Amino acid sequence: MEEVKSERHINIIDTTLRNGEQTAGVVFSKNEKIRIVKMLDEIGVPEVEVGTPSLGKIEREIITEIMKDKFKCKIFAYCEAEPENIKYAAQCGVKNVIINISTSDIHLKEKYKKNRTWAINKLKNTIRAAKHNDLNFIVSAEDATRADLEFLLKLISIARKKGAYRFRICDTVSRFDPFRTFLLINTITSAVNIPLEVYNHNDFGMATANGIAAIRGGASSLVVSIGGLGEGAGNAALEEIVMALKYLEDIELGIKTSKFREIAEYVSRASSRAIPVWKAIVGTNIFAHESGIHADGVIKNPKNYEVFKPSEVGLTRQLVVGKHSGSHTILHKFKEFDIELTDKQANDILGLARDMSVDLKRTLFDKELMYIYNDYKKKKKKQD
Amino acid sequence: MVRELNLLTEFSQKSGIELDPKNIKIDDTTLRDGEQTAGVVFANDEKVYIAKMLDKVGVHQIEAGIPTMGGNEKEAIKKIASLDLNCSVLGWNRAVKSDIDASIDCGVDAVAISISSSDIHIEHKLMKSREWVLESIKTCVDYAKGFNLYVSVNAEDASRSDMEFLLQFARTARDAGADRLRYCDTLGILDPFETFIRVKNIIDIIGIDIEMHTHNDFGMAIANAIAGIKAGATYVNTTINGLGERAGNAAFEELVMALKYIEGVDMGFNTTFFRSLSEYVAKASNRILPTWKPIVGGKLFVYESESRASGVLINTKIYELFNEKDVGLERSLILGKYSGVNTIIYKMKDLGFKITRKEAEELAEIIRDKTVSLKRALFDNEIIDTYNSYRKKSSSSRTHEKGGKDGRSKK
Repeated sequence: MEEVKSERHINIIDTTLRNGEQTAGVVFSKNEKIRIVKMLDEIGVPEVEVGTPSLGKIEREIITEIMKDKFKCKIFAYCEAEPENIKYAAQCGVKNVIINISTSDIHLKEKYKKNRTWAINKLKNTIRAAKHNDLNFIVSAEDATRADLEFLLKLISIARKKGAYRFRICDTVSRFDPFRTFLLINTITSAVNIPLEVYNHNDFGMATANGIAAIRGGASSLVVSIGGLGEGAGNAALEEIVMALKYLEDIELGIKTSKFREIAEYVSRASSRAIPVWKAIVGTNIFAHESGIHADGVIKNPKNYEVFKPSEVGLTRQLVVGKHSGSHTILHKFKEFDIELTDKQANDILGLARDMSVDLKRTLFDKELMYIYNDYKKKKKKQD
Repeated sequence: MVRELNLLTEFSQKSGIELDPKNIKIDDTTLRDGEQTAGVVFANDEKVYIAKMLDKVGVHQIEAGIPTMGGNEKEAIKKIASLDLNCSVLGWNRAVKSDIDASIDCGVDAVAISISSSDIHIEHKLMKSREWVLESIKTCVDYAKGFNLYVSVNAEDASRSDMEFLLQFARTARDAGADRLRYCDTLGILDPFETFIRVKNIIDIIGIDIEMHTHNDFGMAIANAIAGIKAGATYVNTTINGLGERAGNAAFEELVMALKYIEGVDMGFNTTFFRSLSEYVAKASNRILPTWKPIVGGKLFVYESESRASGVLINTKIYELFNEKDVGLERSLILGKYSGVNTIIYKMKDLGFKITRKEAEELAEIIRDKTVSLKRALFDNEIIDTYNSYRKKSSSSRTHEKGGKDGRSKK
């Protein structure tokens, strides 16, 4: 098998504060935005997209405030291709901007009632404004996965020649699977010499996989958001990308992952969205084991069913007792309560616990297990 | 010998390849691996109802539960097997004869015989040897086949298994008469590239039907299932909403829609039913259905940002590959921090007010400030209220400027 896992430098840029906030119904306050930049900075995320200056005064005030702080991470503002938008970004004091331009014919013709030449000119004019304002810039191609490949390559060449230091490919409508993502990125990287960044949506549940496919295809940067917050079904989740790169691709980004749960919780509150208990990497159920087979395996050796330790992402392991529990879980659970059961007792209690769990339609609390145990002992005493 | 594939070349050749819907079958395990999730318990009536819905929507096989658990569980499986459904009904078993007896007792037409294929599981969990595993497969498949059952042999933890042994495992299953091998990425640790090469190796070398059982621990359940299909797998083990242990399994609705809209394979499922199916399972499993859940989330077709909202108002195809009605959802427009002129004009018209671009521009600023202070989008009555007070203010200032007397002047 070909080895792609080298010492390549991979970048991530977090867009929780831009595309994350752009999600219908989500609004962050100024304090929350600043706090989120701080958190991202502290765990070592190298780049952060903080907002859209053209949106209005209130957004510019927030971005200006963020720029006053000293962060290690590079701060980006997002600009739709339009010279005026660059001025707004410069006013906020940002040094790096993302210039976004739609690239598919359906966007150009239907949404803007324009053509490809219009897009090229728009991009050139906006780049000129960026240079005039002394801003570093990357170019982002919206709906690139539905764009004509030749036109896309042409646009990338223009962006590169005009001084863009990176080019972003957006799978705006989640049109790609990992196979197509890999092929497109591979094609572009062999045709044009510019670092590529990929932006994925999760409409079909493939955002993270497509991000990984992009890296395998030669991209060097991925756009992520905390918890995958973003328009529609969201974006590639920061925590999933970082852990997948680390554990599946052997690419260590040096990010402090033990803060993942804490940050996910903060963003969950600020965006008024609960973290599903089954959320990959940071859900509270990720290290909860109930079924006899899994729980038994984990008790014998966590490696049987866990790839990394719960503490690596700020979670804790729990054994829960319910319909699918086995007698080993019962034995282990009662040992935690300092009670040594015989195999016979464990089996009897297991039967009672399963029935109760089906009856209640949920797993049991520790207290309920103790009630079962006490009732069971009383009954045994009477029988004796 | 494991063939050395030029993975990346083979992989990219599969991009956009045509797949035949006849070669892909769904085996839904909401009732087995879904219910096995920590904290989830279905009532028997719910299990029966879910089985009926899955059959109605068109899945090919239902994994109904674990017969050897006995009691309640066994009754539910018996009931489902007696419903005379169009789909096959499968019972899950360890590689133990008594488990298979319990399945036979339930009247299922198919069994899954599950046993670990990784050394870490064989040594640390089963505390046995590879030879013991192969012997168990032989005995159990032979036994089940004696009762004329469809037999799936499940290679648990296949992803961490030594490839040579996994091939031996598959060969043993095939030679014993098993109908398929379930490739279980039990820990969800493969990416689509590794999935592709491992599955392709088994199919090329052993030539047995493969079922993909993927987990979402790193967010790759759907992509891995599709990678498996592209490598030649013919079954996918799904669950409604992706319900399953830890981060869950490949979500039925995501897989079906991804196949249809990304891979171009229409399996002929009645997708308009998806939202109600997902809602039912969410309630029965006592779990929320996140509003952003791919395919069936309640807010997937709710628009706010000017960029997207103004686009879909012109033509939904600008930002959507399928329509809300295709999955039983609804479309709406809300106003918030990212709303712009076109969206506001449209929304106001919807609420019964015809406003100018200039008004919309001014209103956008007011709405933005308001949403930032409320930290949420506005309700319709708040929008109307905001507009009315804006009108009052602007007309009174105009009156003041002009020195006129009609404060409610119309344009």
